[in-house]
Amino acid sequence: MSIHEKPRPRIGPDSAPFWKGCREHKLMLPTCSACGKAHMPPGPVCPFCLADAIEWRQASGRGTISTWTAVHKAWFPAFAAEAPYNVIQVELDEGPRLTSNLVGSEKPAIGQRVEVVFDDVDAELTMHRFRAL
Amino acid sequence: MNAVKVDAAIVGIGCSAFGRGLPDSQLALAAVAFKDALADAGLKREDVDGISIHLGAPLGVDYDRFAEAFDLDIRYVNQSWLHGRFVTNSLQHAALAVSAGLADVVACVTAVSFTRERGFLGGPGDVEGNREEGGTHGEAPPYGLTAPAGGAAISMQRYMHLYGATSAQLAAVPMSIRAHALNNSRAIMQQPLTLEAHQNARMVVDPLRLFDCCLISDGAAIVLVTRGERARDLKQKPVRISAMQGTRSGREEFIFAPRGLGINQQSGKRSFARARDLEIFTQGIARDDVQGFYTYDAFSPLVLFALERFGYCGVGEAAAFVQDGRIAPGGALPVNTSGGLLSEAHVAGWNSICEMTRQLRGTAGASQIKDARALQWGTAWGDSVILTRDR
Repeated sequence: MSIHEKPRPRIGPDSAPFWKGCREHKLMLPTCSACGKAHMPPGPVCPFCLADAIEWRQASGRGTISTWTAVHKAWFPAFAAEAPYNVIQVELDEGPRLTSNLVGSEKPAIGQRVEVVFDDVDAELTMHRFRAL
Repeated sequence: MNAVKVDAAIVGIGCSAFGRGLPDSQLALAAVAFKDALADAGLKREDVDGISIHLGAPLGVDYDRFAEAFDLDIRYVNQSWLHGRFVTNSLQHAALAVSAGLADVVACVTAVSFTRERGFLGGPGDVEGNREEGGTHGEAPPYGLTAPAGGAAISMQRYMHLYGATSAQLAAVPMSIRAHALNNSRAIMQQPLTLEAHQNARMVVDPLRLFDCCLISDGAAIVLVTRGERARDLKQKPVRISAMQGTRSGREEFIFAPRGLGINQQSGKRSFARARDLEIFTQGIARDDVQGFYTYDAFSPLVLFALERFGYCGVGEAAAFVQDGRIAPGGALPVNTSGGLLSEAHVAGWNSICEMTRQLRGTAGASQIKDARALQWGTAWGDSVILTRDR
């Protein structure tokens, strides 16, 4: 990776279905068909009941900002032009939290309701981001 | 709760100069600190048969290079993964190794050049941060949260929202620790820090301003650990490792947040410090006996979170607790009396372990806590040791 490029997600066997979902503009969550709970980050078994019965189910795409920050310093040169930029954590209505960005002009606030949008970065990668509701 | 069966003492400490942009290699800094520590203890290098390394290459020195460069004959090694979180762990490994007879004298070695290896800290060289599931400090590099500071920032942001804490209250942490540094000529920062200067400094990662983030610096600190009985025969008054508890981890834990704050996958259900988090105070030294608190102050919120973790104040109360000089020189609970990572140097916390040793020997000079007998090291992620003056 060139230091002039933004880092890309590392995608392994456990997380591949998540990123494939993003490619298809669907927010997919690993969900346990034994206990019904969704979890993140994707694991090989349900972290709550250890069942192997993981099903990938499409999430509502809605959630609430649980925390946020604005990054002013550019640790990666590739982010320098956008600084300060926001990073948010979203508590999805299904429970798990995701780290993402809020798009649009609104400043993030804890408690803000948000909805997923998909950003086709290039031919291989689509990233989830969120917009205020 | 079973008492931890540890029979170990710190018998020698050594440091290089601390600075920013030092030209020396990490190994050159280690050489200075190693000779200093041996002389301090009255030991020869032949006596050292164990190494515990907190931060290896490229930031620090790997165990094999340390042994090779100083021609040691080593029979016990511990080396942890990078970043600062294994500071307590590497001291504890040394204590356990000498207690179990795996080594007679373990050198805990930290020799780092953060300035030459800048890209490692949240930059393109940070392989830990680029982990598939996100980094330990909440790093999500594709989304621009690339540095450990980001993890402290998202935690403090939520903490402020939940408890009404403010940046001006947070400023009491770096201001108090700076006041300690002014008593220490080794400290890199030698000017007082005012509230105005804190508030006017540039924002780094909201709500952390410049002085909420520790120094990026270079230096070495080495701590020699041996069994209690042997320690009594050596040059210095031994400093006992009297109590220990290990690192906490699980879905309710996020390294830079109190348990249950609601960061990453934490539930968001907080509670007062639980018995399991207070094992450290059941091994002979009670919290009320602790005369000074030392912690990994990479970012000022971590001091608040550590104080709550160990029950020095209640849930959400730490920002108020640190006001009015309580953790400053002469306060009821002085914190990081040599200036910590925020104002002395980022030697990954080992500067504070050395300072605790000086305090308990009664040789801390202008920083001396009167009649220091028991001091606690404890991190926001829950691990801890209590050091005591030998009877």
